[in-house]
Amino acid sequence: MTMRIDLTRRATLVGLSTMALSGGALAHPPKKGGTLTFLQTSEPNTLVSLTTTATPALTNSAKVTEGLLEYDYDIKPRASLATEWSISEDGKTYTFKLRPNVKFHDGKPFTSADVAYSIQLLKTVHPRGRNTFANVTEVKTPDPLTAIIELSKPAPYLIKALTAAESPIVPKHVYEGADPLTTQNNNAPIGTGPYLFKEWVRGSHVIYERNPNYWNPDLPRIDRMVCKFVVDASARSIAFENGSGDIGYRTPVALPDLDRLKKLPQLVFETDGTSYSYNVQLLQFNLDSQYFKNLKVRQAVAHAIDRAAMVKVVMYGYGTVCASPIAPGLKEFHDPTPSPYNFDLKKAEQLLDEAGFPRGANKIRFKVPMDFNPVADDGRKSAEFLRAALSRIGIQVEVRAQDLPAFAKRIYTDRDFDFTYNGHSNLFDPTVGVQRVYWSKNFKKGVPFSNGSNYNNPKVDALLEGAAIEIDPAKRRQMFIDFQKIVAEELPDVSLYSPLYLTIKNKRVHEDSMTADGVESNMAQVWLDS
Amino acid sequence: MTVQAEPGVAETVAPTGGRKRRRLRAFLRNPTFIVGTTILGFFVLIALLAGVLCPGDPQDMVAAPLLWPGQDMQFPLGTDAMGRDVLAQLIYGTRASLLVGISAAAVGIAIGTLVGAPAGFFGGRIDTLLMRLVELFQTMPTFLLVIVILAIGEPSMTMIALSIGLSSWPTVARLVRAQFRSLREADFVIAARSLGYSRLRIIAQEILPNALPPVIVAASVMIANAILTEAGLSFLNMRDPNVVSWGGMIGDGREQLRDAWFLTALPGAAIAFAVLSLNLVGDGLNEILNPRTEP
Amino acid sequence: MRMGRRIAATLKRTAIHAGPTMLGIIVIDFLFLQLMPGDAADVMATEAGAATAETVAALRHQFGIDQPVLTQLLNFLGHLAHFDLGYSPRFNTSVLDLILQRLPNTLLLMVTALSFALLLGIVLGSIMAAWAGKWQDRLLSVVVLLLYSMPGFWVGLMAIVLFSVKLGWLPNDGNETIGVPLTGFAMIADRAAHLVLPALALASFFIAVYARLTRAAMLEVQRQDFMRTARAKGLHPFLIQMRHALRNALVPVTTVAGMHLGNLLGGAVVVETLFGWPGMGRLALEAVLARDFSVLLGVLLLSSLLVIVANVAIDLLHAWLDPRVEAA
Repeated sequence: MTMRIDLTRRATLVGLSTMALSGGALAHPPKKGGTLTFLQTSEPNTLVSLTTTATPALTNSAKVTEGLLEYDYDIKPRASLATEWSISEDGKTYTFKLRPNVKFHDGKPFTSADVAYSIQLLKTVHPRGRNTFANVTEVKTPDPLTAIIELSKPAPYLIKALTAAESPIVPKHVYEGADPLTTQNNNAPIGTGPYLFKEWVRGSHVIYERNPNYWNPDLPRIDRMVCKFVVDASARSIAFENGSGDIGYRTPVALPDLDRLKKLPQLVFETDGTSYSYNVQLLQFNLDSQYFKNLKVRQAVAHAIDRAAMVKVVMYGYGTVCASPIAPGLKEFHDPTPSPYNFDLKKAEQLLDEAGFPRGANKIRFKVPMDFNPVADDGRKSAEFLRAALSRIGIQVEVRAQDLPAFAKRIYTDRDFDFTYNGHSNLFDPTVGVQRVYWSKNFKKGVPFSNGSNYNNPKVDALLEGAAIEIDPAKRRQMFIDFQKIVAEELPDVSLYSPLYLTIKNKRVHEDSMTADGVESNMAQVWLDS
Repeated sequence: MTVQAEPGVAETVAPTGGRKRRRLRAFLRNPTFIVGTTILGFFVLIALLAGVLCPGDPQDMVAAPLLWPGQDMQFPLGTDAMGRDVLAQLIYGTRASLLVGISAAAVGIAIGTLVGAPAGFFGGRIDTLLMRLVELFQTMPTFLLVIVILAIGEPSMTMIALSIGLSSWPTVARLVRAQFRSLREADFVIAARSLGYSRLRIIAQEILPNALPPVIVAASVMIANAILTEAGLSFLNMRDPNVVSWGGMIGDGREQLRDAWFLTALPGAAIAFAVLSLNLVGDGLNEILNPRTEP
Repeated sequence: MRMGRRIAATLKRTAIHAGPTMLGIIVIDFLFLQLMPGDAADVMATEAGAATAETVAALRHQFGIDQPVLTQLLNFLGHLAHFDLGYSPRFNTSVLDLILQRLPNTLLLMVTALSFALLLGIVLGSIMAAWAGKWQDRLLSVVVLLLYSMPGFWVGLMAIVLFSVKLGWLPNDGNETIGVPLTGFAMIADRAAHLVLPALALASFFIAVYARLTRAAMLEVQRQDFMRTARAKGLHPFLIQMRHALRNALVPVTTVAGMHLGNLLGGAVVVETLFGWPGMGRLALEAVLARDFSVLLGVLLLSSLLVIVANVAIDLLHAWLDPRVEAA
C-alpha cells in the first residue's frame, strides 16, 4: 500500500520535469548540429512499430513516434508524452496527465484522443499488445490532456510497457479509417518525435531530420540522423573503423572482431541501454518426442551441457550463464540458484542407461535431429557446440538447417522436431516475455514463440496466471521464483545463457543511450562533438 | 569450354581394337590431360584417405581459436574462430566437394540424356515439346532455381547435389539432342534399323555410346561448376551443418577477413586448384576426342 | 533492305513465341513456389519475435495467402494483365517500384562487368591466338585458366582484403556513400569507386571464358582456306587477325555473352551479397527467404523477358557480323 502512494508522489515529482534526469554534470556542455550515422543490421518493413515488434522496426520507430513514458536503466518510469501518472490502489485504473502544447509533425495537436485511439489499436494489431492490454476495458478522455485507462483486472506489467517503441502513440487523425497494416504512414510516418521523417530508400537507408517544433525547445541537438542498412557484419566493422558509421547496437559486429575493435581509441563500448529486453537462449524440447518425453533423458541432456564453456566458445564470453527462463538482467524476478542438474557426464550416462537407452555396438545410444533458429548468428554455432557436447554421452545429433519460414513451420505448425536451439526475449516483464512459453493455454499451433514444447503443468499455469494480476511486488516475485524452481526441475527446455549486448559508438557520440531501451528510444538527447 | 563449330566427330563405324589403343596413347600423350588428372588424382586420394590422414571429427573444437599457420606445429594450417583444425577441415572438405560435384553432374547428365536423347532421335512433336521444357528451365536464373529447390527441401548434401543437378541438365540435354540428331542418319544406325533392332535398343546400345564424347567433356566442366556453386551456396549459409565443405569454411572465415584472412584464402585456393584440375581434364579430353580444334 | 526484313522477321517470330512461353513460365513458377515450406506470415511473425494467433491470421489475410492457390494464381494473372505486378507487404511498396529501384543497380554492375570482361577477354584471346604455342600463349593460358577456376566471390573477398582493408583505397559495401549529398564529378567518382571491386569479382570468370573462346575461335578460323589465301597475298599477320579472324571469332563470343546477359539477374546473387550491392540478385534471395512470392514472380518474369530480348539481340548481331548466317 505504501509502495503505491509513494509511486504516485514520486511520479508527480519526477513527471513535472520536462527533461529526463540528465546525467547532470557532464564534462562539457552538449554541442548542437551534425549528422549521426546509425548502422542497422537489417531493413525494417515498416517505420512504425505498431503492427510489428521486429528489431529493425523498433530501431527506427521511436525517432518519429513517441510513447507515454520513458524508463531509466532500472525500468523505472520517466515522463515523455505523459507528465504525471498514478495507479489506483486496486491496480485497475491508470491516470495519465499529458504534456501540453505538443504537436504532430503536420501541425495538428496531440491530445488524449490520440492516446485512447492508440491503445485500442495496440490491443488489436500489436503482436504483444493483445496480451499486454488484454485487461483494458476502456480509455476515458475527460479532457484533452487526461487519459484514464480502465482495466478489468490488474496488470502489474502495464506501467512498464509504455516506451515509444513498444507502445507507440500514433496520430488518430491519420490512422482513423485506414488499415494499420497498409497505411502510407508506415512508410512516411508523422508523430510527435524529435525527428522528422525525410526519406526511405529501400535497400539503402532512412534519413531523419531535426524537428524544429519539438515540444522540448532545447532538443534535439543533432541536425540529421542517417540510418544505414548494412547487412554484412564485416562491413559494419570496417565502417566503425573508418568512421563511416557512428553507432550500432546489439553487438553489431562479429564477436571475434570485438577484441580488435576494442583496441581502437576512437571507439567506445557500452552496455547502457540494453535493459529493456533481455534474451535467453535455450534448448527447447518437444515433449511429444519419443526421446524427450522421458524426463530422465532430458535430465541427462542438461547434465551434459557446460554452460560456461558454451558462452566462452559460442559467444566469446559475451554472455551470462543462465539456468532459468528469466534472464539475470531482470534482477527483480530472476532466481540465481544454479540448475539442479550440474555439468556431470557420468550422471548423464547413468540416467540414459536407466532410461533404457544403452550404448549400442557403435557406442551410440540413439540418433536424433536438432534444429536451430536461423535468425541469430549464434544459432548454427550453438547447435554445433551442443552436438559435440551430446556426442560425448553417446547421443548422435544431426544438425538440421533450414531457412526461417521452414523453421517456423516445422517447430510451431507441424511440430515435426525433437529438440531445437531457440531464443526468447524476456522483454521488460516475465508475464509479457516468459509466460507465453510455459503457459499451457498458449499452446497454439502456427503461432511462433508460443508454447512450442507443449508443456502442461497446472501448478505452473496457476503461478503464471496469478503473477499476471498480482499487485503486491513481494508476492509476485515469489510466484515467479516458485515457477522457476518447477521449470528448472521439469525441464521443458534447458535454459542456457543470456547474451550480453554491446552498443558500439564513435567517441564523438554522447547521450545516445539514456534510457532502458537505449537507442531504441527517441534519442532526443544525443549530441556529437564537432 | 572451347566452342565446337559442329557437334563432335560422328563415327560411322564403331571403333576397333587398334583405334582404341591409339586412343589410349593419345590420352597419355596429352600434357593438359596428364597434369589435370594428376592434380585431380591427388584430391581424390585425399578424399579417400581422409579418415586415415586425420582421424577424428574435423568439427571438434580442439584448440585455441585463430592460430596462424605455422604458429603451432600440431595445427600446421592454423585453427578457425571456434578452435577447429584448418588442415583437417580442408582434408574432409575435399570429400564433400568432390562428392557433391560428382553427384550433381551425374544427376544433370542423367536427366539431360533422358530428355535430349528422345528429342534428338524422334524429332517432330516430341522434340518441340521437350525443347519447350528445356527453354522453360533455361529462363529461370540458374542460381535462383538452386536456391528455391533448396528452400523446398532442406540444405543437406543430398539436396544440394540434387538441386545443382536439376539446374544444370538443360545444357546436357541440348548437347545430347544435337548428337542424336546428327547420328540418327549415320550408316550404322541405318544398318541396325534394317536388322530390325528395336528403337530403344538403337538409342541405348548404338547411338548413345557414340554420342558420349562431348558429354564426357561436359561432365568435367559440370563437376567443376557444381563445386563452385556449392561453394557459393555455403557462402550464403545454405549448407549442411553436419559436413565440412570448402565453401562453408570461406563463409565461416569471412568474419575474420581482416586478421585471419588465411581462413578464407586457403579453402578458396583449394577450390581453385580442384576446379582447375577438372578444367584441365576437360580441356585435355576435348583435345583428344576432337583433334580438329588444335592449331 | 535485307537487314530490315531480317529484323521484322525476328521480331515477329519472337512475339508469337514469347507470349505463351512467358505465360507458361509464370504459371509453372507460381505452382513451383508453393512447394516451399512456410509462408510470408510465418516469416514476419517469427522476425517480430512475438505473435498471437490473430496477428498471424491478419498477416495471412494481408498477404492474400489465406485464399486457395488457384484463386491466388488467377488474381496474380489478373493483375498482370493490367501490367500490375502486385504489392509486396514485406517491403511495403509495389513490386514494380521495388524492381525499378534495384534493376538499374544490377544492370550497371553486370554491364560494366561484362563489357570489361569482353574487352579484356578478347584482347587476351587475340594475343594468345597470335602467339599460339609460344611462351606468351602458355603463360596467359595458365593465368586465364586460374581466373576460370577461382570462385568469383573468393576473388572479391581477396580483393576486399587487399584494396579495402589493407590499402584502404576502395570501399567494400554498397553502391554509394550515403548521407553525404554529392553532385557532378564527385558523385560519379564515388559511384565508380564503389563499382570497381564488385565488377572485378564478377568479371574474373567471364574474362577467362571470353579469352578461351576467342582463342579457340580465332585458331579455328586461321586454318580455313580464306585465311591461307590472305596470308599468301602477303597481308600483315596482325591485319589478318584483326579484320578476318576476329570478326568471325566474335560470333561464338557474343552468343555466350548474350547467354550471360540473359542470366544476369541470378548470376550476381553471391557477389551482390558479399558487397552489399542493392541489386536484383539480392532482392531475389531476400524474397525467397521471406517467401514473398509477388516479388519473386516479378523477378522471374523480368528474367525470362530479359532472356528473350537477349536472344533476339544476339540473332540480329550475328546477322550483322556474318552475313552468311541465315535466319534460323
